[in-house]
Amino acid sequence: MTKRTHPEARIFSVETRFHRVARSGGTPRELAIKQAEVAIEDVKGGFDEWLDGALTELVDTIKQAGAEGSGSDSLQTANSHARQLRDVAMTMGFELLSCIADSLCMLLDSIAAGAEYNDDAVACHLDALSLARQPGYRHLKPAQVPELINGLYRVATVAVT
Amino acid sequence: MTSRSLSINLCDLVILVADPSSYMSMLIHSMLRGFGANKVLEVRDSVGVIRALTNQKIDALICDARLPPHGGLHLTRAIRRKEDNENRTLPILIMTSDVRETTVKIARDAGANMVIAKPMSPAGLYDRLAWIAFNPRQFIDTATYFGPDRRFKIEGYPNGVGRRKGDKAVDVAAEIGPALGQDEIDSLFSTARTGQD
Repeated sequence: MTKRTHPEARIFSVETRFHRVARSGGTPRELAIKQAEVAIEDVKGGFDEWLDGALTELVDTIKQAGAEGSGSDSLQTANSHARQLRDVAMTMGFELLSCIADSLCMLLDSIAAGAEYNDDAVACHLDALSLARQPGYRHLKPAQVPELINGLYRVATVAVT
Repeated sequence: MTSRSLSINLCDLVILVADPSSYMSMLIHSMLRGFGANKVLEVRDSVGVIRALTNQKIDALICDARLPPHGGLHLTRAIRRKEDNENRTLPILIMTSDVRETTVKIARDAGANMVIAKPMSPAGLYDRLAWIAFNPRQFIDTATYFGPDRRFKIEGYPNGVGRRKGDKAVDVAAEIGPALGQDEIDSLFSTARTGQD
C-alpha cells in the first residue's frame, strides 16, 4: 500500500491479490461467457424441483402475510421469495415467470409500504405463476402473452391505488 | 482500455458468494466456474461471511444486498469500518434487485466496489469483475468513510481545484474571447424578463 499524506483524508492505493491474479491472463471474455452459459445449462435440470419448492413456499408465506397484515415478517419473507423467483427465472431464461414474479414484487412492495392487502390481486399473480410454470408456457416471452402481462400490471396498479 | 477487451484470471482466487437463495448461489457459482474460478465458497447469511473471512483468506466477496439478517450493505460497512480487519480492502461486489439511484448510492457509501443488478447475466458479472480488476481505485480513509474512492466517474476539476490534495486537473480549452457580447447578454436578460421567446 502506498500512503499519501493529507490532513483530512488518508488516501492510499490498494493492490489486492484479486487485482494481481485477475489481471494475469485468464479466460478471454467471449469464451468465459460461453463457458458460463454452458455451466448454467448444466444446472437447469434441478430447476423444476427448485421451482416447485419456491412456489410452495411463496404461496404459504403469502397466505400467512394476508392473515398477519402489511407490517408482518411473513410479508417480507414472501417478498424475498418473489424476488428470488424473479431473479432465478430471468437468469435461467424463463422470462414469463420472471415478469409475473416482478409484477408480484411490485404489488408486495406496495403492500409493505402501506397499501391494503388485496386478496384477489395476489391470487391473480399466484395463478399466473402456476400457469407460467407449465411446460407449454414456460418458454414464452412476455411479449407473446401481452393480455396476461398487461392485465397483471393493471390488477397490481389498481390494487394499490 | 475497456473491460470488454480484457481477460480475467480467476483461477486459484477464493471467491465468496453470499446469497440467501441456494439456487441463485448455485447459478453464480456456475458462472464463476465458467469464467475459470476453481475456489468458490457459498454462504447464506452474514454470519457465514464473517466466519469465512475469519477462517481463511478470501480474495473477493459477491454479496446480496438483502443478505440476512441485516443486509449486505450493513455487512459491507462493518467489514470496511473495522480497523483491525485484514479484509478491510477486500473487493466487494453487491448484487441487488433494487437498482434505484438511491440504493446504488447507499451501496457506494457503504464501501462497495461495484453494484450489479439482479437478475444478472454471465456477461454482466464478467464485465464487473473485469472492471474491478482493471480499474483499481484508491482507498479513502476518513472519520465517516472507509472504502474505494467514490468519485470514480470524475476525472478531476479545472485548474486542480478539488477537495483533495491529489485531485488531478482537467484540461480546459483556451479562452478565445467572449461567446456573447455584452449587448447580446443584456438583450437575453431583457427578453427573459418580458417573457418573450
